[in-house]
Amino acid sequence: MPELGRAALVATLGLALYAVVAGALAAWTRRRRLAASAQNALIGAFATTLVASAVLVAALVRNDFSFVYVAEHTSRELPTGYTISAFWGGQEGSLLLWLLILTGYAAAAVLLNRRRTRDLIAWVVPVLGAVALFFAFLLVVVATPFAMQTAPADGAGLNPSLQNPYMMAHPPMLYLGYVGLTVPFAFAMGALLARRTDERWIVATRRWTLVAWTALGIGQLLGAHWAYEEVGWGGYYAWDPVENAALMPWLAATAFLHSVMIQEKRGMLRVWNVLLVVLAFSLSLFGTFLTRSGVLSSIHSFTESSIGPWFLGFICIVVLGSLALVFARLPLLRARTRLESLVSREATFLYNNLLLVALTLTILWGVAYPLLHEAVLGDTRIVGAGYYNFFLRVFGLPLLLLMGIGPLVAWRRASLRSLGASFALPAGLALLIGAVLLALGAGSSIPGLIAYTFSAFVLGSIALEFVRGTRARRALSGGSWPAAFSALVARNRRRYGGYVVHAAIVMLAIGIAGSSAYDTVSEGKLVRGQTLAVGDYRLTYRALDEREAANATEIRAVLDVERGGKALGTVAAGKNAYTAERQVSNEVGIRSDLVTGEDLFVIAEQVNADGSVYVRAFVKPLVNMIWLAGLIFVLGALITLWPDAREQRRLAVRYGDARARVGP
Amino acid sequence: MARKRNPARLVIALSVAAVLAVFLLYTSIAGGGTPSVAPSELAGKTGVVTLVGKVTAYKGDSYGDGLRFRVRDRKGSSPTRVTVLYKGSLSDQFRVDREVSVKGELRNGTFVAVKDSLVTKCPSKYTAKKSS
Repeated sequence: MPELGRAALVATLGLALYAVVAGALAAWTRRRRLAASAQNALIGAFATTLVASAVLVAALVRNDFSFVYVAEHTSRELPTGYTISAFWGGQEGSLLLWLLILTGYAAAAVLLNRRRTRDLIAWVVPVLGAVALFFAFLLVVVATPFAMQTAPADGAGLNPSLQNPYMMAHPPMLYLGYVGLTVPFAFAMGALLARRTDERWIVATRRWTLVAWTALGIGQLLGAHWAYEEVGWGGYYAWDPVENAALMPWLAATAFLHSVMIQEKRGMLRVWNVLLVVLAFSLSLFGTFLTRSGVLSSIHSFTESSIGPWFLGFICIVVLGSLALVFARLPLLRARTRLESLVSREATFLYNNLLLVALTLTILWGVAYPLLHEAVLGDTRIVGAGYYNFFLRVFGLPLLLLMGIGPLVAWRRASLRSLGASFALPAGLALLIGAVLLALGAGSSIPGLIAYTFSAFVLGSIALEFVRGTRARRALSGGSWPAAFSALVARNRRRYGGYVVHAAIVMLAIGIAGSSAYDTVSEGKLVRGQTLAVGDYRLTYRALDEREAANATEIRAVLDVERGGKALGTVAAGKNAYTAERQVSNEVGIRSDLVTGEDLFVIAEQVNADGSVYVRAFVKPLVNMIWLAGLIFVLGALITLWPDAREQRRLAVRYGDARARVGP
Repeated sequence: MARKRNPARLVIALSVAAVLAVFLLYTSIAGGGTPSVAPSELAGKTGVVTLVGKVTAYKGDSYGDGLRFRVRDRKGSSPTRVTVLYKGSLSDQFRVDREVSVKGELRNGTFVAVKDSLVTKCPSKYTAKKSS
C-alpha cells in the first residue's frame, strides 16, 4: 500500500515535470501534438494524485498505524468522520489535498479550454504544471505522507479542537479557495507569455476566480464559526497571522473581481488586473508559508516544520518572475480608454479597488511588521488587534459606503442632478435609521453607528436597484411582479447576483458591528443555586452533568436562563476530556434568539472539584447575522456563477473563438 | 494642444499618499505594536511588553488569587526563568511545556500580567518530526 502511494506521487512529479518542459516547448515552437501531450500529462497527474490520496484515506479508515501519518493524527476511538478529516489534519496530508485540488482544477481547466482558447492554454499548461511540480516535489522529497514505522497499539489521536463538524469542511474549503487562485494566475501568465493581452484571459477565468473567491469566503466563515463554537473565548476572529493569511488573498481577489469589469467594459486597468492576480496568488502562497514556517508567533501552532524555506523560495520565484513578465509586456498592456470623470461607475470601482488593496497591504504590513522589525532593529514587536481594527474602520467603512454608491452612478460620467435623484431615497432612509439608532443609544459606539447608517444606505440602494429593474422589466414584457423579478435576475445574473453578495457583506458588517461594539460580558464563580446577571439575562446554576461519550468524558454545567422574569429553558457549558489525546477542550453553551439575532454565549472557564464553576457569559447582539450573511453570500455567488446561455452567445460574438465554454 | 491629464493617475497618487499619511500617523501615535520579548531579554525592560516563552511550572488559580507560573525561552538553553502572576481566562491547553504569550510588565522581579491577556498556543499541527 505505501509503495503504491509513493509510486503514485513520483508519477505525479514526473507528469508535472513533463507538462512544464513539453508544454513550454510546444508553446514556444507551436507544436500542437506536443501541446496536447503536455495537457494530457496534467490530466494524468490528477489521476495519479487521486490514487495517492485514496491510499492515504484507506490507511486512515483501516487505522493502519504502520503509516506514521495515521498514527500521529488518529486513534482507534476517533469517530470515522474525524478519522477521514485527519487527511487534512496534518502537514503531509494537507499538502496532498492541496496537490489533489490543484491537479483537479488544472485537469478541469485544460478539458474546458483546450479547444476554445488553444493559443492561451498552450502557455497555461506549463504554468499550472510548474505549481503542481513544486507541491509534488514537497510531497516526494520533503514531507511524504507515506513514511512507515512499526505499528504502535494505538495512535496519538486528533487534536480535540479539530474534532468539530466545522473542521471537516473548513480546511477543504480554504484549500479550494487558495488553490483555485492558481487558475486565474496561470491564465494571466499564459496570456502574457502568449502575448494575448486582450480580455480573453479574463473572460476565461472569471468563473474560476469566482469559484475560488466563494470557497475562500465560505471557508473563512466556517473557520470563524468553528472558532466561535469550539475555541471558546467569545469571539470569532482574532486578527491572528494565520487567519489573516486567508483574508488577504480573499480581499485581493475581491478587488480583482471588481476591476475585471472595468477592463471588460472599458479596456482599462490591464496592468492593474494582472498585478492583482499575481498579488492574490502570491498571498495564497504566503499564507501557506506563514502556517508552516514558524516565523511568526501565532495562536495556531501550525509551525516549525522544515518546508518554510521551500515556500519562501517558491514565493520569491513567483513574485519576481511574474513582475519581470509584466514589465516585459508593458507595451502590450496599455489601456484602450481613459477614465472620463471622477464621478462615474468606473471611478467608484477604482476607489473600491484602492481601498481593498490598501486594506490588504495594511494587513500584510501588520503580519510582516514583527519580522521586519526584528530583522532591522533586532527586537520583535507584536502588532495587536488595535492596529487592524483601526485600519478596518479607516478602509472598511468607506468601502461599505461605496457598495451603495456604485450601483447608483452611471458609467462614463454622472451629473449632479442624476446623482441627487438616485441618492435621495437611500440616503434619506439611512439618515432616518441613523437618527433612530442614535436616539436608542447606539451612539455609545461611533464606528458602530456609522456602520449601521452606511449599511442602511447600501441596503436601500440595492432594494432600489431591484425595484427599478423589476418595474422596467414588467413594463417591457408585462406579467406579474414575481415573474418580472425572476426574469430580471435570470437575465442579469452577474449584476444581481453581485447585489445579493453585497447584501450579504452588509449583513456581515451589521453582525460584526453589533457583536463587537455592543456586546455585554459578565463573569463569576457560581455554586449550585447562585445566579449571574448578564445584559437582560439571569443565569442560575442548576446542576453539573457528566457522561461518557465514545472518545471523551463530557462535563456540563447546566444553567437556567431567564429574561424579564420569563424562563427561557437551559444552557449547558463545560469541558470534554479526551481519552486518547489526553487533552481537555472547552465546550461553550450558546442560546440563539432567532428573532433578535443575538446570542447568549456561556463559557464554563473552570469546573472545580467541589462542583462550583467559574462562568463567563456574553450577550452578543446580532451575531447570527454573520452566519446568515454566509448563506446569502452563497446564494449570491450561485446566482452569479450559474451558466447563462445569453451571456455565452454575447461573448461568442465579442471574442470569436475565445468564447463560451471557458469557465468551470 | 496640451495633453489632457489622466485623472485616474491623480486619484491613485492621492490615495496612495493618503494611505501612507494615515499609516505614518497611526504608527507614530501607537508606537508600532507591543515589544515581544523572551524571558532572557526581559531584565531592564520597562513598560508593557508581551512575554513569550514555555511554561516550566505553575500553581494557584487564575480565577481566584491568581496563577503563578514560570517561563523559559522557547529556544536556546538560557537558564533564565521568569515568574508570572496572572489573573483571568485560562485556556485548557495551558500546561507545562506549552508555549504561551502574555502581556504585562515587570514589577519587583515578578511579571505582572494584564488580565485575560494569556494566550496558549494550540498544540495542533504541522510540527517538525522529532529526530530519531
